[in-house]
Amino acid sequence: MARTLITPSEFQAPLPQEALIDSGPPDEERIDMDVLFVGGGPAGLAGAIMLAKLIKEDNEKGDGVGEVSIGVLEKAGSLGEHSLSGAVVNPRPFRELFPELKDEDLPFGTPVTGESVYVLREKRAIRIPTPPSMKNHGNYVVSVCELVRWLGEKAEEAGVDVFAGFPAGSLRVEGEKVIGVKTVATGLDRDGNPGSNFMPASDILAKVTALAEGSRGMLAQAYMEWQRIKADNPQIFALGVKELWETKKPLDRVIHSMGWPLPNNAFGGSFLYPLESNVVSLGLVVGLDYRSTSLDVHELLQEMKLHKLFKPYLEGGEMIEWGAKTIPEGGYFSVPSRRCGHGVVMLGDSIGLVDVPSLKGVHYAMQSGIYAAQAIFGALKAGDYSAKVLHKYDRLLDDSYIIKDMHKTRNVRLAYNKGFYRGSMKAGLMTITGGRFPGKKIKMEPDAAVPKRVKPAKPFSPDGTLTISKVDAVYKSGNITRDDIPCHLIAKEGVETAVAEFYSHLCPAGVYEVEDGKLTINPPNCVDCKATDILGPRWTPREGGAGPAYKRM
Amino acid sequence: MAAILAVLEQRNGEIKRVSHEVLAAARGLADGMGAEVHALLIGAPGMSADGLGGAGADKVLLAADDSLGLYQAHRYAYIAAQAGTDKAAVVLAGTAMGKDLGPRIAARMGAPYFNDVKTMEGSGEITITRPMYSGKAIATVKITASPCVLSVPPNAFAPVDAGKAGATEDVAVPAPVEPARATTVEIKEPEHAVLDVAEASIVVAGGRGVKEEGDFNVVEELAAALNGAVGASRAVVDNGWRSHSEQVGQTGKTVSPNLYIALGISGAIQHLAGMRTSKVIVAVNKDPDAPIFKVADYGIVGDVMEVAPRLTEEIKKISEG
Amino acid sequence: MKIAVCVKRVPDTEARIKVGGDGKSIEESGVKFVLNPFDEYAVEEAIKLKETAGGGEIVVVSLGTDANQETMRTALAMGADKGVLLKADVAAPDTLAVAKALAAELKEGGYDLILFGKLAVDDGCHAVGAMVAELMELPCVSSISKLEIADGKGKAEREIEGGVEVVVFSLPAAATTEKGLNEPRYPALKGIMMAKKKPLEKKDITLEASGVELTALAYPPERKEGRIVGEGPDAVPALIDALKNEAKVL
Repeated sequence: MARTLITPSEFQAPLPQEALIDSGPPDEERIDMDVLFVGGGPAGLAGAIMLAKLIKEDNEKGDGVGEVSIGVLEKAGSLGEHSLSGAVVNPRPFRELFPELKDEDLPFGTPVTGESVYVLREKRAIRIPTPPSMKNHGNYVVSVCELVRWLGEKAEEAGVDVFAGFPAGSLRVEGEKVIGVKTVATGLDRDGNPGSNFMPASDILAKVTALAEGSRGMLAQAYMEWQRIKADNPQIFALGVKELWETKKPLDRVIHSMGWPLPNNAFGGSFLYPLESNVVSLGLVVGLDYRSTSLDVHELLQEMKLHKLFKPYLEGGEMIEWGAKTIPEGGYFSVPSRRCGHGVVMLGDSIGLVDVPSLKGVHYAMQSGIYAAQAIFGALKAGDYSAKVLHKYDRLLDDSYIIKDMHKTRNVRLAYNKGFYRGSMKAGLMTITGGRFPGKKIKMEPDAAVPKRVKPAKPFSPDGTLTISKVDAVYKSGNITRDDIPCHLIAKEGVETAVAEFYSHLCPAGVYEVEDGKLTINPPNCVDCKATDILGPRWTPREGGAGPAYKRM
Repeated sequence: MAAILAVLEQRNGEIKRVSHEVLAAARGLADGMGAEVHALLIGAPGMSADGLGGAGADKVLLAADDSLGLYQAHRYAYIAAQAGTDKAAVVLAGTAMGKDLGPRIAARMGAPYFNDVKTMEGSGEITITRPMYSGKAIATVKITASPCVLSVPPNAFAPVDAGKAGATEDVAVPAPVEPARATTVEIKEPEHAVLDVAEASIVVAGGRGVKEEGDFNVVEELAAALNGAVGASRAVVDNGWRSHSEQVGQTGKTVSPNLYIALGISGAIQHLAGMRTSKVIVAVNKDPDAPIFKVADYGIVGDVMEVAPRLTEEIKKISEG
Repeated sequence: MKIAVCVKRVPDTEARIKVGGDGKSIEESGVKFVLNPFDEYAVEEAIKLKETAGGGEIVVVSLGTDANQETMRTALAMGADKGVLLKADVAAPDTLAVAKALAAELKEGGYDLILFGKLAVDDGCHAVGAMVAELMELPCVSSISKLEIADGKGKAEREIEGGVEVVVFSLPAAATTEKGLNEPRYPALKGIMMAKKKPLEKKDITLEASGVELTALAYPPERKEGRIVGEGPDAVPALIDALKNEAKVL
């Protein structure tokens, strides 16, 4: 009998815990650092910069902690290449991190000068008043790539060692304590045998490891599972597919839309931001609890571009980049109860610090890095790296504007679990009452536990100019991963056709294809968005430098 | 008006075809300034200057010595720089020899040097155009210093029928400096007789349109009939039918032949990135909407398995007939 | 053995090239700069020679601005020992001026071997290596695909049309490297850390301009639109005709 429903979790392999929590003895050939930030994104870099500052100030006072080696590990070949976001950023943490710099010297990009919100129908765009949570006065449209590169320079200036091209493959532990990470081997062939450029994985040990791997961070997941750290709700995610376009028609404000082309039982919306006078960034974000197996975010974005709200900005222009990434959307109730442990703290998106209604997470990530640095500094001063001392990070976070903001909007996204209209009504009520009503936690299932109806896919014929295929999209992401890279995705054997087809629509980069009814995997295509890890085959990092090479996403 | 020096190239006493292209380039420049073209030929005794007048040389300088049969970089540079000093410009070809010799002549003469020259014109001041950034941009450069040394890529200038005198003149060859700094001792036959896809001037590449591994011979046969190299798309290499050394595309090789024939290749951007600067692109594909047709100069909509053998047949008729 | 490797900082070949407002240079914002890929082969070859010899010194020399330091650190992370940065404003593409400046610096170094990448991927001039060698009166082999050094002598191979040229020479000498000479290593973590501590000397110099001026930078002309000549094998004669008489490639 043909299958009518697919519950993704039934077909998923579990996270390979034994491989991810490594308690073996450290290598002879290893690097010893004092503090290691895993992930060179806004959270990791802000944390490293803040820590370097605190140490410097302390040493200048006399009787300081002395020289402290701080490292940042980044899996992309260069900083920024795996960074992707909308993005409209609140400049607050920049001012805290760089009080000596003037606003003009900060990498703020274009200030938001206006905004419009629309509900889309297939042929219409109905303007609605901008919800207060989405007002962006005082904020800036930035490219998170450029932001990360700028932060990277500041980190290097502050004496931080940035190691780009080195993914962390597992956590090194001693008892309950995290003592560092092990990187990933380079130069293996398709069958996992060492090729000519083989470099084995290395141990990097540190007194404190700060996990800042971003959305669906692998090691953060592994640590929380190992230490049984829970949150009120499981984390839920959305997949965003984004494009950067050179435009002939200037855009003077940020635009958000909801409704078409998403079905009523999917949560999400689009954004169109002016990045520069002749460059716009545009994307579609869809909650992964969508209900149909053939929903394809990339294809929906392509369809969306033909709508009269967007098309005028794209016609005659040129698509310069394409990319995809997931965003944690669980909000307040999905932030874990504890974000630190012996020798470890967790930052940013990997603990879900994103406010969904305002679509903001970059400044929260940086702020969490700043708080982590303060806690780690305290640990260095005390010479004590236990959870008790690092717990200062938890307190700083809980008392901060981050958690207060997220608390106000704690149910807004969750309200949509029953569909767009009921969700909008509930969300509207929450906004008016400042979050007080409906205020009780709305229980959520993990995305993979939400069954999806098996539906045939709509035919998709990209024209190659305004709309593009996934293969061409991957090219535009700057992905030049070598063709014979070993497969980094853990899929169950013998996946049935309907599930294979679901995967082919799930992945925006065309990693999964169905040939003769069977699942085929194209690992080089992967752009590390993590949608697969959430609903399909589990993701592990490839060798450093693999994946996309975003430039201004 | 000072003459233009055209430095030619011989192998085993035979003048290479590309030298006629050099003469054509030099002729163009010379005619623009009302100057003569003096050709320089360095090699072993017995070199023939036949046809060089017709190809544009007013005079042919022969620098012959038993020790100069194989390219000896420093000595060739010395002789050419001597001949070039009183000239308006020196022109040579961007062959393996030329790419090495050109900069040396320039350094000896204290003259500016440019390779990959697509156009050259002027009198007194010479203005050239040449590609930059892997062909993504074209630069126009004004050269005020005189003389200058310019190297032209093969196939950029068509040989001309200039009907010049081509009178020969022997040039003294200085004795070699002892001990010799560097000596070319031999030319080995290449280990692999296979024509490298990145070097060939004709490439025939196969893609998914070639249904089975056993059918790839239609690609090989067409390549052989054209004396070209075989290329492959990523899909074909991924299937294990061909080696990665033949893969054309972003993660394979970038090629720029005179003629690129894409058989059963759809034309994903990754593949195009590897061959889009080919001079002439031909595509054969069953799907009339295949993106490859957007970049192809000529296309046939049809089954590769039917079209390719017919193409091979017709090509063979031309070369045999 | 003391080896010098000349390296250049160039835009990544994957970078999108945009002509800047002055019509003569590229817009650098958003462009990733890297160590010239051909220079990587040169650095790797130097390291391999040092490893085989069990000792020696590798100095990387670069001409440019302070930004070149990051590029040179990549070479140091791979295994070079020290760096010398010649700070100057280079009006590209004046290869003779660059060659003169490098030759002046290298003359003082007492190098047994000087290695260059055969060309830089930004200007593709394929000139500086041979020019420097000629200015320094050193033997030089260009575009080498194989290199052997022993007892003060060297043997190199380079691919030419239809064959492989074998050249023997004595040290001191220079060579420029071709793709495939070796497989450049990725810097290991330890290498990256140690690179920061290796000495990098900076010298201010002025270049002797050669009388060249880049007056314009433009995009290449768009390909003319092609056409479908027909369907199926019966279209072949028409194709051949077009290739012979129109495109003139047959």
